[in-house]
Amino acid sequence: MKAATRTLVVAALMLAAALVAAACGSEDTIGGGNQGEVQVAKAGKPTGDITISNWPGYIDPGKNGTVAEFEDKFDVNVSHIEDVNDNVQFFGKLQPQLEQGQSGGRSLFVVTDWMAKQMYDLGYLQELNHPDLKTVFDNIRPELEKSESDPQRKFSIPWQGGLTGIWVDTKKAPEIKSVDDLFDPKYKGKVTMLTEMRDTVPLILQSQGIDVDEATKEDWLAAIDRLKEAADSGQIRRFTGNEYTEDLTSGNVVAAIGWSGDASLIGREGVEWRKPTDGCDLFFDQMVIPAGAPNTAAALAFMNFVYRPEVQADIAEYVNYVTPVEGVQEILTKRDPELGQNPLIFPPAGLTKGCSGDPDPPGDAKDQQEVTEAFQDVITG
Amino acid sequence: MTRGVTIRRRLIPYWLLAPGAIWLALFFVVPMYFMGELALRSGTPAIGFTFDWAWSNFPDSLDGNTEQIVRSFYYSGVATVLALLIAYPLAYAIAQASERWRPLLLFAVIAPFFTTYLIRTIAWKTILADSSPVVDVLRTLALVPDDGRVLATSGAVIAGLTYNFLPFMILPIYASIERLDMRLVEAAKDLYASSRQAFLRVTLPITAPGIVAGVLLTFIPAFGDYVNAAILGGTNQAMIGNRIQSLYLFQRDYPEAAALSFLMMALILIMVVVYIRLAGTEASMGEEDEGR
Repeated sequence: MKAATRTLVVAALMLAAALVAAACGSEDTIGGGNQGEVQVAKAGKPTGDITISNWPGYIDPGKNGTVAEFEDKFDVNVSHIEDVNDNVQFFGKLQPQLEQGQSGGRSLFVVTDWMAKQMYDLGYLQELNHPDLKTVFDNIRPELEKSESDPQRKFSIPWQGGLTGIWVDTKKAPEIKSVDDLFDPKYKGKVTMLTEMRDTVPLILQSQGIDVDEATKEDWLAAIDRLKEAADSGQIRRFTGNEYTEDLTSGNVVAAIGWSGDASLIGREGVEWRKPTDGCDLFFDQMVIPAGAPNTAAALAFMNFVYRPEVQADIAEYVNYVTPVEGVQEILTKRDPELGQNPLIFPPAGLTKGCSGDPDPPGDAKDQQEVTEAFQDVITG
Repeated sequence: MTRGVTIRRRLIPYWLLAPGAIWLALFFVVPMYFMGELALRSGTPAIGFTFDWAWSNFPDSLDGNTEQIVRSFYYSGVATVLALLIAYPLAYAIAQASERWRPLLLFAVIAPFFTTYLIRTIAWKTILADSSPVVDVLRTLALVPDDGRVLATSGAVIAGLTYNFLPFMILPIYASIERLDMRLVEAAKDLYASSRQAFLRVTLPITAPGIVAGVLLTFIPAFGDYVNAAILGGTNQAMIGNRIQSLYLFQRDYPEAAALSFLMMALILIMVVVYIRLAGTEASMGEEDEGR
């Protein structure tokens, strides 16, 4: 036998052997919930190191930024990493560790409310003791004291909220006002949508005149079909996480489904966030403490710290998302009257009326899986 | 006493093999075992996956992914051919350059590697942006339609693959051309071969081992790549790597992802066998000839 062939046969045998060795497969389960007991986050004097995972551009950076200020005030060394780009992907990355009751070294992360609930239901999060979060509950806006995904605030504290709508290049596509307009052939290849199914699909459903709360699995699949057609025809340039902002910055697209507070990431004039005339989506991202998290004392201290109105004002001024803290409007109005009236930070009731939350697809786990698969098939078509 | 020495001497090759074998066992066989075990589990992300000989994961994993498999072949195949067309003349020129320039030229080939793969690929996003000077030039030359674009097209993905794996093509070809004895080419010409004949009958066969190695080193990683399609591609340009990533990270269907990875490995293995058979084992084992 020639040497090369021999090598390849050996390699093939090794592959086969690995499969056969699987015969002695263990009984344990991979994936699924964390079977350990639910932990309660321990409070204490904050010291040491702490790692926080957050979305890009979601906190004021730099020397006078909130993180630096927190490090100054307390004897804590913060590693603030912006590695959450998409809820599902972030979860998928961490899940094998979370399942083992580990947090990958992170003490706190920020995910959207529905994802926080999903994590909690799987036993991946620690519970929060309200007396440890005095500043939070002193200052939280009353309507956020409860939420649908966490009625007793047992595991999640609001970070920032926002609206999913459309970012429009006001020069190149001034007439885009609705999600439906994004399907106008005039803008072929100049439009992006989000890889977050719970943001993109409800907007499509609303553009088709369907009430998201009443939508059936078939409605979801039909909406996904519409996306597929637009992807196949080249109408939709690509599906993105936060990096849709880059395409807007460099002018590759004229409109994108995106989040209301991302002006700082886009970083240029001439683009504007619009609430679509045919629907909108309202979300709240939450701070959570994963099971197995080190240094929960510092994590709790950080939660309290960002709920100080003057600290929160800095964050709100930078990120321009809906703030969960009372008293921020007064502070910002003093700094800049226009900012105090910014509807993206302090949305009037009219702006958020009729907005869907980030809903799960309807039906049982199997139905949801089917919808998720159909959506994934389109975005990685 | 003498017997002991001979035994010890006989064992030496095995001792020399040990580091490589341990490495392979640790980082290839063991992961492969876990992957194989994972591929035979069934369940859902919510309740977890248990082992129950779910062979159906293998055919299921191909379901709906054939388009991406074919596309991966196409993209990585075109990228490999392009890389070969660029690399061969380049490697030839470097090998023929004077001793003084050669190290510098080789350094130029490797220099981009001092920046990470990801950063280099993201840089291409800026280079190929719709309003970038490069794309303007391409439009002027009518290589891209006036309202056309480069970024988020198959062309961008293939260009990215070609660029990122080019050095893997250049270096083995360079190594084989550098060892080419130019007297053989001269002899061919003395025997009235035209330049073309001399190249086809002498240079090419002698440097074939480098080409075979280069093609393998380029094609295999390019086939499994997902970064280029994710960063430079658009809709309907996903490669099989993107599908596996989506199965692992987004759908969390670990068994199907593992089964698909296994099938892709088997597929690559078969292709490599066929390719080496066609290209001739002699070529891939060129060093043997030299030793004779």
